[in-house]
Amino acid sequence: VNRNKKSITVNIRSPQGRDLIHDLVKKCDVLVENYVPGKLDEMGLGYEQLRALNPGLIYTSITGYGQTGPYRMKPGYDVMIEAEAGLMYITGEENGTPVKVGVAVTDLTTGLYAHGAIMAALLARHKTGRGQHIDCSLLDSQVVTLANIASSYLIAGQEARRMGTSHPSIVPYQVLPSRDSHIMIGAGNDGQFKILCSVLQLPELPNLPDFRTNKDRVRNRKALITILTERLRTKDNAYWLEQLEGRGIPFAPINNIAQTFEHPQVIARGMIQEIDHPKAGRIKLTGPAVKYSETKPSIRIPPPLLGEHTDEVLRDVLGYDDQRIRDLKDSQAV
Amino acid sequence: MLRVRAHSGRALAQGFAAFARAGASSFVSKSVLTVARPQAASRLLSTTSTIKQHPKEENQAPPTHTSPPPLLSQESNAPAPANGGLALPLDGIRILDLTRVLAGPYCTQILGDLGAEVIKVENPKGGDDTRAWGPPFAGNQHDPADRGESAYFLSVNRNKKSITVNFRTKEGQAIIHDLAKRCDILVENYVPGKLQKYGLGYEQLKELNPKLIYASITGYGQTGPYATRPGYDCIIEAEAGLMHITGESTGPPVMVGVAVTDLTTGLYAHGAIMAALLARAKTGRGQHIDCSLMDSQLATLSDIGSSFLISGQEPHRWGASHPIIVPYQAFPTRDSRIMLSGGNDGQFKSLCRILGLEHLPTDIRFRSNSDRVKHRDDLIKIMTERLQEHDNQHWLKAFEGQGVPYTAINDFAHTFAHPQVAAREMVQEVEHPKAGKLKLIGIPVKYSESKPSVRLPPPLLGQHTQEILRDVLHYDAEKVDSLATAGAI
Repeated sequence: VNRNKKSITVNIRSPQGRDLIHDLVKKCDVLVENYVPGKLDEMGLGYEQLRALNPGLIYTSITGYGQTGPYRMKPGYDVMIEAEAGLMYITGEENGTPVKVGVAVTDLTTGLYAHGAIMAALLARHKTGRGQHIDCSLLDSQVVTLANIASSYLIAGQEARRMGTSHPSIVPYQVLPSRDSHIMIGAGNDGQFKILCSVLQLPELPNLPDFRTNKDRVRNRKALITILTERLRTKDNAYWLEQLEGRGIPFAPINNIAQTFEHPQVIARGMIQEIDHPKAGRIKLTGPAVKYSETKPSIRIPPPLLGEHTDEVLRDVLGYDDQRIRDLKDSQAV
Repeated sequence: MLRVRAHSGRALAQGFAAFARAGASSFVSKSVLTVARPQAASRLLSTTSTIKQHPKEENQAPPTHTSPPPLLSQESNAPAPANGGLALPLDGIRILDLTRVLAGPYCTQILGDLGAEVIKVENPKGGDDTRAWGPPFAGNQHDPADRGESAYFLSVNRNKKSITVNFRTKEGQAIIHDLAKRCDILVENYVPGKLQKYGLGYEQLKELNPKLIYASITGYGQTGPYATRPGYDCIIEAEAGLMHITGESTGPPVMVGVAVTDLTTGLYAHGAIMAALLARAKTGRGQHIDCSLMDSQLATLSDIGSSFLISGQEPHRWGASHPIIVPYQAFPTRDSRIMLSGGNDGQFKSLCRILGLEHLPTDIRFRSNSDRVKHRDDLIKIMTERLQEHDNQHWLKAFEGQGVPYTAINDFAHTFAHPQVAAREMVQEVEHPKAGKLKLIGIPVKYSESKPSVRLPPPLLGQHTQEILRDVLHYDAEKVDSLATAGAI
């Protein structure tokens, strides 16, 4: 998570370090921080203090619980907030225990909200000439991404539950076991169900009254899944993947990470990029997710070594001369 | 079982990765400021503006301003901001929204929340499929026989206007063309090639409006061998690694409880659209944005994906535990489950004190985090035994204010009753013409200069067709009638 950045080392607890940050702030458009509220203010680096130096500054705070409210001073942890704000409760097997998502999704969601908010503030500044303080939190971002699942609760009081890999209202639309692995199959309507049954060589199934429409299939879910599972278990994943190819039903293997990064579409989309790192040599990083017709975002700078760009930034951005830079190093401000 | 490598450098790196993952704010002692590239951004403060709020103004000279330019042209129907008079960041921006279901509508909803006028184009027969995706439905206070809108639709469509247009007809296409000339942004989620057939592809609309930002959201992207496959969140969760790493370590892979890949894609798209607006301010041109569920899913494998790309080590499912921090997981209590973190030695000590297991931190098996990882099973067994002696309530009280991260695994009733959720206004009540009082999730990001809110409830199907045709396109009554007759609206 650190490519396309320059690293400078600054001791912001020292007065010279703080002055350096002040100088940088005057030359920056955006500041992003994730300290517990009040911490940076103590060091003379809070929003009110910095906006006095640069009224156009967009100051973005990312915290666990936000700048306001009874929990604002609580440190934030992705996994804790997944548990606290409903996501863990709804993830996991129906008869199993709640589990966390395999990546720190709440952290990532918050980062995604913040990146958009910063650009919104840049657009606003274009009209008003002023910066502002943006307040992002893991908790708020987590809650809002409960989206349609939360809506069932908010609108109708319907408590959410874990569905494992099943869909609450479409059958079959879930992970099913094959002889050697698992496969994700979605037969979202009657037409797709017919195709699925022909692939599985169960042509009589769609005509049975128990399974004819989706409503019927939902009602007789257990029985149907048992039949499908029995048939799927007779062959390996590779066989079924081949059979389902091009038949018009959504399906996918449950790819592990190696398989994910070998996926032909992932490669075609440039989602793995190789770059040179000064220590590690050639390393692979994930490519930019969004493609633009007018520009080509790329990995211009590898993830930086600690303090790799301190001298460069002090010299080229702040215009400090060699003596001043030496003084800052001597006083351990950088 | 994942073995922690003995190589100290790697363990240290993984440790840092774990710390980064574990907390937003805990472990950074030296700060690194993330800076925008100064020379690129400074152009925004230049005195001549090329950002156009409405393409209709392109024949006028670009405004020079010492004070902020007018935000709304006379054409705009964007309702007055209900936010104390403070302008919203996207005031004056108009979006033509051809998206349906989740990823697209989620994206345009955020932009609507930020002040954009979102015109949601729906087909006259039923509109967005999700209107019918229920139960539950919100009902109709004026007509008990009408089940009303689905909770699903209501969750991702506020701050939008609905018009019904059948763009399979020539007349319908002409309406979309006219609208495209008057919009800043078009967002769509059709399989690549579909809209071109109707004369509504990027190259075609760019002719009419070179400033148009055309954002496409698909399953797999506009290019590559899978480009024409329809995209489904759970299929791509399976296909792109997320399902493999989610679930109990001894259990099967599971889906995330929400369609997270759809939502992530919507989030990437909303940012990309604003990036394109910023670019347009400099270049005067729009562009085609290509977002996909698969690419967004890949990107959000983040540190987990990186571990694999760097080391070749395949990650595993960890349930509600952590691969390299112990204890940092959910535990069963007598009646429920509790999430606890003893992420560093200090926290572990406090945690053991609360559990009445003061001897554990000095036990040679559990002294440091790497010891605890090595003897994970022993430690978890001891802690579980103790935790199961009492109900969740007992432990939640015991942990309060003790400096150890802890939480119940909240269902939705508890989530939405959380005092911080209320304090942050994350539930908002609005009036809906059919459903009456409706609860919607609030706005997550707070801005000091403006107060985004729910200005418009989720629209009824075609609620704004007349208004848009009349006030934005200036069609007269006769033309509107003929369009209705032709089945175009």
